[in-house]
Amino acid sequence: MSIFTVSESQKAIKFRLGEVISTDYSPGLYFKIPFINDIKKFDARVLTLESKPERFLTSEKKNVVVDSFVKWRVKDVSKYYTTVAGDVVQANIRLDQIVKDAMRGEFSKRTIRELVSSERDAVRDILIKAASPVAVDLGIEIVDIRVMRIDLPSEVSSSVHQRMEAEQSRVARDYRSRGAEAAERIRADADRQREVLLGNAYRDAELKRGEGDATSAEVYAQAYGKNKDFFGLYRSLTAYREVFRNEGSTVVLEPDSEFFQYFKKSK
Amino acid sequence: MSWNEPGGSKKDPWSGRDQQDTPPDLDEVLRKLRDGIGGLFGGNFGHGGSPGKTLALLAGIPLAIWGLTGIYIVDEGNRGVVTRFGKYTETTLPGPHWHLPAPIESKAIVNVEQQRFIEVGYRSGGGRQQNLGSVPKEALMLTQDENIVDIRLAVQYQIKDARAYLFNVYEPEKTLKEITESAERGIIGKSTMNYVLTEGRSGIADEIKQEIQEVLDKYEAGIRVITVNFVDAQVPEEVQSAFEDAIKAREDEQRLKNEAEAYANEVVPKARGAAARLLEESEAYKQRTIAKAQGEAGRFKQLLTEYEKAPEITRQRLYLDTIESVLQKSNTLMLDVKGGNNMIYLPIDKLQRQSTALDIPRESEGVSASVADSIDNSAKNANRAATLRGRESRGQ
Repeated sequence: MSIFTVSESQKAIKFRLGEVISTDYSPGLYFKIPFINDIKKFDARVLTLESKPERFLTSEKKNVVVDSFVKWRVKDVSKYYTTVAGDVVQANIRLDQIVKDAMRGEFSKRTIRELVSSERDAVRDILIKAASPVAVDLGIEIVDIRVMRIDLPSEVSSSVHQRMEAEQSRVARDYRSRGAEAAERIRADADRQREVLLGNAYRDAELKRGEGDATSAEVYAQAYGKNKDFFGLYRSLTAYREVFRNEGSTVVLEPDSEFFQYFKKSK
Repeated sequence: MSWNEPGGSKKDPWSGRDQQDTPPDLDEVLRKLRDGIGGLFGGNFGHGGSPGKTLALLAGIPLAIWGLTGIYIVDEGNRGVVTRFGKYTETTLPGPHWHLPAPIESKAIVNVEQQRFIEVGYRSGGGRQQNLGSVPKEALMLTQDENIVDIRLAVQYQIKDARAYLFNVYEPEKTLKEITESAERGIIGKSTMNYVLTEGRSGIADEIKQEIQEVLDKYEAGIRVITVNFVDAQVPEEVQSAFEDAIKAREDEQRLKNEAEAYANEVVPKARGAAARLLEESEAYKQRTIAKAQGEAGRFKQLLTEYEKAPEITRQRLYLDTIESVLQKSNTLMLDVKGGNNMIYLPIDKLQRQSTALDIPRESEGVSASVADSIDNSAKNANRAATLRGRESRGQ
């Protein structure tokens, strides 16, 4: 009689001369008969199948680089033992084939945009559904399948970069020309305001001057109208003074002008 | 098994606060040990009585030493997880504890309060460097609008259930990282680039946190996510200059507008000023013109009154006064050429040059102009002015 333990993170299988006799071990202490009984223990925790990045074609015939992981754990120990000999690596290889196949199919039905944004969860559900029957055959349980990276291959990335740059330069140009537009509007508006202000002011000023002219004309007319005869004299004399106001004007007179009537007589 | 929680193996280790700090008592340890071993092997071991008393004592010493190896201390912030032959028995709180010694029971101590973190998209290298070592494979991802963004995340977490943490998931930390990347890419993939880079940041971090937690709970990983932080969210280095230029362009837009505003702020008030000047000037012109008219008209009317009293003499006087004043200032030339055909040479240019030399500015006009003459000209002029003034006063 000898003993063996099954720990909390393990599942165990007991053979009698190569034949499976018990798989139902909860953690704890158990007995076996040496040489007749053989015990194999497996990791009962959630294990990971981590796929390497691989290229998939999308429905637009574009390549995307995808990696994913599958989380699984041993469910049926005896099946797990018989199908993959309890080997994690073998189980992973089998799972990988199934999942990759399903992924290829699903990716080819969808565009990059759908895969990246809206369809991620849908693809995950389909993959889980596709892999589950196979997992049951392997004696394991799929906990989760998740797509991690969906990236563009490096040669495509550079063209994405170029597109992004072009977009940004469009945005930049848009901003600048909008700025120029707004600035032009503001300037033009200011110029208009100036013209209008000055124009209105000129109009009002002319009207004002007109008022002055009119009023003064009225005043003159009233005064000068009292004696047109005298006005003629007065205005003429004023005009003479004005005209000859500067010294140095040369006046040529004839001796018989009215001014000289006495001058002549005395001769 | 522990002293503080006798028989409490089913008790929730997280809410059990009834810790007693009684120090371990050797007798009790031995009694418990006897019970434990007795329970295991079913015999009435240790209850033999007097004949084996010395024997029991002799056997007791190594037993006691073996028993002492089961003493362990759980530090504050930790939990002890005890398994018996691999089967989970209990989780112990901080303090001194005892478990059945190896190989029957064993313990694992897990720190449940330490805040651990993982870095996705970069490696800080432990230190607080400014230059975060980017890991492009993790950091670059596609957005909904098929742009590429560069995201660096830090996830802080704690172990919330030591038992689950130990037994349920192989490599929990690696799993957490895988989940984080997957959740992050899923959520970024549903957002547009602008949203990710600007107002979406905190919302996205919360969403990622929530999704990570959901998945962790599904795996029963025993981990609690405290926070998810965007360490950095940018566009890829290759296109950064274009993005910076776009930001600059936004500034330029504002600058152009501001410059134009400045122009407007200068032009319009100036125009208002000029307009006000025009108006004031016209008002001045109006007032001046009217006043001048009134003045001249008044003067005329006053003179007219006198004229009407003695028209002949006044007319004569005004005429002579005016002619006198005009001829005074002029080079007068009298020619008796009536009927003659003589050609007379007048040196007009010479006369004019002379006159310009004599020319002086005059401020006042009319009759009173001669007053100014009298002040700044020769005595001859002054005499004439005196006579003029005399005549003027007589005339009035």
